[in-house]
Amino acid sequence: MNKPVIVQSEAERRAKNIRRAYAILPVISLSLLTALWFYASSSKGSNFPSPLDIWNRYLLFLEKPIRGLSLLGHIWASLKRVFIALGVAWLIGISFGILIGWNKKANALFGPIFTAIRSVPPLAWVPLVTMWFGTGEFPQILIVFIGAIMPVVVNTQVGISNVYQIYLNVGKIFNASPKQVLFEIAIPSALDAIFAGLRTSTSAGWMVVLAAEMLGGKSGVGFLITRGMDSGDYALCLLSMICIGLVGAFLAIATITLERIICPWTVKKSS
Amino acid sequence: MTDKERIEAIQQKAKRDSYQLALLSFIGVFGFLIAWQAAVLAGWLPSRYVPMPTQIIKLFFVKITDPTPDGAVLGVHILGSLQVVLTGFLLAIIIGIPLGLLMGWYRGFDRFMSPIFEILRPIPPVSWIPITIIWMGVGLKAKGFIVFFSAFVPCVINAYTGIRQTSQVLIDFSKTCGASNFEIFYKIGIPSSMVMTFAGIRVALGNSWATLVAAEMLAASVGLGFMIQQDRMFARPDIIILGIVVIGAIGVFLTFILKKVENKVLKWRLTQ
Repeated sequence: MNKPVIVQSEAERRAKNIRRAYAILPVISLSLLTALWFYASSSKGSNFPSPLDIWNRYLLFLEKPIRGLSLLGHIWASLKRVFIALGVAWLIGISFGILIGWNKKANALFGPIFTAIRSVPPLAWVPLVTMWFGTGEFPQILIVFIGAIMPVVVNTQVGISNVYQIYLNVGKIFNASPKQVLFEIAIPSALDAIFAGLRTSTSAGWMVVLAAEMLGGKSGVGFLITRGMDSGDYALCLLSMICIGLVGAFLAIATITLERIICPWTVKKSS
Repeated sequence: MTDKERIEAIQQKAKRDSYQLALLSFIGVFGFLIAWQAAVLAGWLPSRYVPMPTQIIKLFFVKITDPTPDGAVLGVHILGSLQVVLTGFLLAIIIGIPLGLLMGWYRGFDRFMSPIFEILRPIPPVSWIPITIIWMGVGLKAKGFIVFFSAFVPCVINAYTGIRQTSQVLIDFSKTCGASNFEIFYKIGIPSSMVMTFAGIRVALGNSWATLVAAEMLAASVGLGFMIQQDRMFARPDIIILGIVVIGAIGVFLTFILKKVENKVLKWRLTQ
């Protein structure tokens, strides 16, 4: 019995080749990147650490903690600050955003001040805050809070004030009290905007905590970076950068998952 | 009441409301400043740590000509910061947007670039500071690179998403008319990605300004971030607050200019 002969047209064969090339391209680019890294670290007189150095640095870290904290301990120290600040920022930010998004008078009263404060990058507050409150735990959390609350307020306000008028009118026609209109119509339909704000605030918080720690912390991953920089231990710098990237990516995934659980209807169908 | 009277009554009410809101905004801003001033004058806030608004206004005029205690007058700091931020920001636009457009249009290029991009993206720009200092020292190049990196990511992402959203109908139509792939990319893809791209540029501008301040606080010898960091050591809260106000104002000013440029470039959007 003869095997059935599969005849491919020219176009099919080409499509197959292209698919194969597409599958291989990411591998090529990643290996190029790694090769470049090894090359950069092995060239003479370079103090740039190779991937191997970073692995060794990680092993050394396991034996010798820095300031009594292991790597995970430092990550957790940073995360704890972010979580506390985010908790407070979400609570206050959403309430304030709803207030100025819902009530025109409140918006007129507080809006300009808020806009003025928002236009200052959060890190610019660092010198003032350290001057006022020293370099302990509270000032760092405060700075993360400042950085994290802005996107929450802005998004909540935009979400609440952009609710379709028709929804609100329907509520009014059915004799809903203002409270019902707010809590049962406006807030649920603004949830996707609010969640976008929460996502932004999480990544902003993670970025700000690093900078705050780099500018004068005694623990945390940002502190590890400055420590590495000051002592010429560049492998430590890169090790902490990798951890920062991983934790940042993890936080992003966590907020998206949270959003899917709390309000599954906001997930937009990807076209 | 006739219809006309009713319309008039409503218009008057709207007018009254808008006056009321303007008055409230005024009260909000000035009430804040006056409360601040009063709290310091009354001694509720320690004047050593909290300067009064009037002092800061006065200081602004002094600082224009007086280089103490941080070694440069305000104008020099502002120019120093602007130079770095514009270098990084413009480079990010010049490199980031074409990269994003190409990644969005050519599948193969996308497959090649996006793994690298996805690895570098989640690392906050601020944490690049030590590494860049090893590579490039503490000069304009290092800070420019950090600013570049912070502005680069939103430029790429938005250009990429923007060109991905090009209407398939337009693409098919131009194919039917015999346009080459590059022609479609150039004449259909790029223009239709521009709204999204500009949104990315706006984010990039905000990012680069915020990152610049951080970079200057960590390693610089001039610039607004350096100024406020130095004056913390000299215990001069008044200059710090002045610096914060100036940083905020310049941020607003840059955003304003960008908005103008955007309205000019995307004029067709308004007419639709």
